Amino acid sequence: MADRRLPDPAGDELRRSESIEFRFDGRRHTGLGGDTIASALAADGVDVLSRSFKYHRPRGVLCAAGSCPNCLVDVDGEPNVRACVTPISPGIRVRSQNAWPSLRRDLLSLTDRFDRFLPIGFYYKTFIRPRRLWPLYEGVLRRIAGLGRIDIRARPDLHPRKRHLHAEVAVIGGGPAGCLAALEAAGAGARVVLVDDGTRLGGHLRTRTRTLDGDPRIAGLPGPEAARRLANLVAAEPRIEYLPGATAIGIYDGGLVGIAQGSTFVRVRARRIVLATGAAERPALFDANDRPGIMLASGILRLAHLHGVRAGRRAIVVTDDDHGWRQAAELIAAGIEVAAIIDTRTATAEPAEAATVRAAGTDVLAGATVLAAVGRSRVTGLRVRVEDGTERTIAADLVAMATRPEPVVTLAAQAGLPLVFEERLAEWVPLAGSADVIVIGQMTGLVDDGLIAAGAVLAGRLAVGRDQAGGAATRHRERVAGAFAALPDPAPTALPVGRKPFVCLCEDVTTKELAQGVREGFASLETLKRYSTVTMGPCQGKQCHGNAARVTAAMRGVSRTTTGLTTYRPPVQPVPLAVLAGPHLNPVRRTALHDRHEAAGATWMDMGDWKRPLHYGDVAAECRAVHERVGLIDVSTLGKLDVRGRHAGEFLDWLHPNRFSDLRVGRIRYRAMTDDAGIILDDGTVARLGEDRYLVTTGTGSLDAVDGWLRWWLATSDRRVDVTNVTARFAAINLAGPRARDVLSRLTDLDVSPDGLRYLDAREGLVADVQTVILRIGFVGELAYELHAPADQAAHLWDALMAAGAEFGIRPFGVEAQRVLRLEKQHAIVGQDTDALSDPRGASMGWLIKADRPDFIGRDAIAALAERGPRDVLTGFEMIGTAVPAEGAAVVRDGRPIGRVTSSKWSPTLSRAIGLAWLPAEDAVEDRPITIRLGTGRGGSTAPAVVRTKPFYDPAGERVRS
Amino acid sequence: MSFLIGCPLCGPRDNAEYRYGGEVQTRPSPGSSEADWSTYLYDRQNVAGVERAWWFHRSGCRRWFQAERDTRTNEVIRVGWTLTARATGAAADG
Repeated sequence: MADRRLPDPAGDELRRSESIEFRFDGRRHTGLGGDTIASALAADGVDVLSRSFKYHRPRGVLCAAGSCPNCLVDVDGEPNVRACVTPISPGIRVRSQNAWPSLRRDLLSLTDRFDRFLPIGFYYKTFIRPRRLWPLYEGVLRRIAGLGRIDIRARPDLHPRKRHLHAEVAVIGGGPAGCLAALEAAGAGARVVLVDDGTRLGGHLRTRTRTLDGDPRIAGLPGPEAARRLANLVAAEPRIEYLPGATAIGIYDGGLVGIAQGSTFVRVRARRIVLATGAAERPALFDANDRPGIMLASGILRLAHLHGVRAGRRAIVVTDDDHGWRQAAELIAAGIEVAAIIDTRTATAEPAEAATVRAAGTDVLAGATVLAAVGRSRVTGLRVRVEDGTERTIAADLVAMATRPEPVVTLAAQAGLPLVFEERLAEWVPLAGSADVIVIGQMTGLVDDGLIAAGAVLAGRLAVGRDQAGGAATRHRERVAGAFAALPDPAPTALPVGRKPFVCLCEDVTTKELAQGVREGFASLETLKRYSTVTMGPCQGKQCHGNAARVTAAMRGVSRTTTGLTTYRPPVQPVPLAVLAGPHLNPVRRTALHDRHEAAGATWMDMGDWKRPLHYGDVAAECRAVHERVGLIDVSTLGKLDVRGRHAGEFLDWLHPNRFSDLRVGRIRYRAMTDDAGIILDDGTVARLGEDRYLVTTGTGSLDAVDGWLRWWLATSDRRVDVTNVTARFAAINLAGPRARDVLSRLTDLDVSPDGLRYLDAREGLVADVQTVILRIGFVGELAYELHAPADQAAHLWDALMAAGAEFGIRPFGVEAQRVLRLEKQHAIVGQDTDALSDPRGASMGWLIKADRPDFIGRDAIAALAERGPRDVLTGFEMIGTAVPAEGAAVVRDGRPIGRVTSSKWSPTLSRAIGLAWLPAEDAVEDRPITIRLGTGRGGSTAPAVVRTKPFYDPAGERVRS
Repeated sequence: MSFLIGCPLCGPRDNAEYRYGGEVQTRPSPGSSEADWSTYLYDRQNVAGVERAWWFHRSGCRRWFQAERDTRTNEVIRVGWTLTARATGAAADG
């Protein structure tokens, strides 16, 4: 239906030579380059784009600016896409939402007929009894609730990105005010970010033919030309970064603006923010004001000017303000016949545009009231009561709602600016900015081009700190006050009649339902909102917040300041969660030996940011190598802290339940750290490498916390201690197995004999010509050496060890084998076998506590816990039979859980399943039979096991000391 | 939560760079009652007003410092390695 297209040059964004095919609900449609989904469908004669949320009423384009719920569609599996701001692309499949079986015949539209049985709060009141039926209710409600369907198989072509920008000035809104402010600030040398949600700059100028006055750069130009002029000036200003198609969704503390730009989330941190978010028309209230073909006048003009689409042939303009007359003139200029203009005001002086409107043959009905819209899937006219009280119906296929535009104050309110109810405007506006946030343009209630431009230029200077404190600013404020005083009186709010005057299109809330809520006592707008869900839909209150406030005040017969407003919260516009989440910009950390593991065929696992070899293909063989010959494992990810200084030993004593100041130089001690509640935070080792110098190792994941913990206690201490994180500086390799000494002795001149380097000795010296710290420790049950060497020489050391160990059958082993071997020794892993309730005694580490000291962190708590006696303790168990219980499985007695498994593995060495579990103290005795549930769920089978309190492998610890 | 905090060493940075370390408190002396320890470990003032708290510049210089911040507005009033409580306005020690 080509007749819905306006002739060239209408359609600023159109590329008429390009034709694009797509589908809507299975039917083929063709649009032009530059069309949005909604404009292409409008040009093709599609009036109904969706069904409403509750009553399933047909809905069509309303705002054409992405600010209402009417055109939310599913595009290739992505739900809730705004059709009016989403460009068409070849082959996309667009589907309507909330309609079954089809948009045309939607069975749930029956709810529209039964609205008397669906009063406000219907769901709260109805589906609460009988309680046992809730599962059934829930199933049904879940099917009909929600908007759009998430297709978990769909893989939308979404590549979310994050950008971080810093600017001296962020300007939100690219209309005339925003552009002029940005130009002024940039001209003064500031770096400016200009954010605008349109495809091109200019804001409302793009859809108004009326010429501008005021600023010489644009005065005398018709709107679209002025918009182009401003866009060119912005493009020529290198200090402005312009973000097109970008919506500022929130303003946060510290001058942070969150911006959704397609699939990119931009965070702009600005010293000052200039808000120029404009004003917008909102629906007029009358019965059936939601019929397709009833649009905001600005929406009609957007379709005409941006996309060359004639939204209808014969229009009626509904207004309560001079603005309606200006819009009527614009519609006529855009080639749309205006049959009538209905101005609800009586006896007002007609504005300048009246002459144009009357000359076009438009019927003028002043003091008239719109009673109802006629027509179902498209409006066919309005029923009107004229000033003398008679009623008549005016035929039209288009209704242009052009009530006084509402300042868009959402971001201003979020930024913490107080909103003031300005009686002359009958609107809430931020009358003044703050030190960091400046407000300009139509959002401050201004209409006059000249005042807007002058204010914008002043704001641009203010934003760069050039405060025109005296003359200019004061004179401007006086002129603004004068302009407010000269405004025509605001029209009073008339409560509409009829069954369905919709206030909230998202949630289908009518004035009737709001009245019912007020009668039930929900007098405050905040509670009424929660009860009726008005303002809570996808448009985030854009279309309904003002109307709901006006209607509620009128119903209660109180002032607008009494009912107030609801809190404005981000996001201003719905944003896909994927865009908010964005990519995770975590680093991947590789050890210095990564390439060696890769070459050896490692299977990788993630441990924090680190990549570690889980195994090299055969865990049992890796375990065997360690027990029978020699193995080596990369333990570089262990945290390593160099703690030194005059009071280093005393400091470590203070932070641990055990002691280190009495450790001899060249010796190593196991450490476990507790907090003041006596809970284990971390464990590792401490090696004393010098009189005032200790090497402290921590768990891989706990390094950051332990480092922070040490520094925190130092922050309020006079102790002379320096803590340096040397984790990345040193690689570490644990060489373990009965032949470990044979391998090591081939690479060093140090005395590594059993008496020369005893268990828990530390030495520094050359190994394979690399300066190395050798710690004779290990947790895998065999003779072992932990070799710490500079990271850049670690690969050489690894190669040397592999070469020297070849004749003994050396083999690298991974984390999985290490865990099996540790478990054979019943070495608990802090964080795996312990949690936020584990104290050292419970975790069978009571032996390390040296309590005979005046103070250490956790001292009093550990003493109190000791007095109370142990409740649950960590103990070993072995399975009778071959089943391996899951980690987290319950230990049960008489069907009730009494404990839990924290580690469990199949030990190839012992040929049985072993593990660690928390059990009541009275059950943690050798040979006690216990029952373990195999799955982690409620049902499932159980298997018998027995308690083993001593290490499974080499309980006397002879091998590690050999 | 996106306010800037001025690290005494690095200057103003996004709060995501920091770890919050809790209200500034005085640790009970050894041998204090369980009630005192319990208060220290678990009870927080959680003031709607000016709070004196520890902050750790985790992704920066890794220094701990104290900041006085209005919890209602997230305005950071002053920072220092350690701050002494002022006569009025500041949160009392726990």
